[in-house]
Amino acid sequence: MFKLVNSLHFLNMNFSERIFSRLELIPDCIEKLIKKIKHLSLAEEELFDIKLCLQEALVNAVKHGNKFDTNLEVECSIEVLDDRLTIQVKDQGAGFDEQAVPCPAHTENLTKTSGRGVYLIKKLMDEVKYFDRGSGVKMTKFINKENSREPKRREA
Amino acid sequence: MNLKEEKRNDITICKLEGEITINNSAELRKAFDLIIKRNEKKVLADFTAVSYIDSSGLATLIEMFQRLKKIGGRLRFYGLDQKIKNIFEVTKLHKLFDICDTQESALKDL
Repeated sequence: MFKLVNSLHFLNMNFSERIFSRLELIPDCIEKLIKKIKHLSLAEEELFDIKLCLQEALVNAVKHGNKFDTNLEVECSIEVLDDRLTIQVKDQGAGFDEQAVPCPAHTENLTKTSGRGVYLIKKLMDEVKYFDRGSGVKMTKFINKENSREPKRREA
Repeated sequence: MNLKEEKRNDITICKLEGEITINNSAELRKAFDLIIKRNEKKVLADFTAVSYIDSSGLATLIEMFQRLKKIGGRLRFYGLDQKIKNIFEVTKLHKLFDICDTQESALKDL
């Protein structure tokens, strides 16, 4: 089932996973990554947000980035420093313009069924940068509360 | 994700359980399809046992909301965990959906 180029490296809280572009591989991948950060004593809410953003980024990479091409891979890495946790998800697709995604929270877009993944990542993480024409995303959550822009999720 | 249905007069209560994600939203859509086919217009989604939802799960709920609206039906939610309630608020979907605090108030509202 989890037949993939599965590389799990440890180097001072840097680790990564690589999966082929199949949605069914995502839950296992997330579980492995989340297990590695469980010891950080993150608040339940923070862990929930991180898991969700990880999920949204991986799904977007498989679905929109690699367009379900099972020969293409998605790489996800996590780096934990003193005050931050940075997740990088990179696919092998052509990328996309994240600015062109209509905001699903605008009243006229509330019933749209797409674009909410990118939006959630931007709202729940503290810093988000797309790179390589949008084929990669780097998202950071400050885990030292003083540096956090919390509570982003409660912004009006 | 598990889904159990219960009837309370003309109201269909969908007891959802577990994680609602892209990996099982098709299953949820299928269950909603059957409700629509049976022409059941008052639907209550019980979130008490839902631990997690992603954007695909949200999209499936939006579809159900739209389909019910089209046939003059109504959809209510209750029992949302604070973390899930926050996701509805962040995405502003709390403005689209009717989220009730208790099953009693949701049933009354339908």
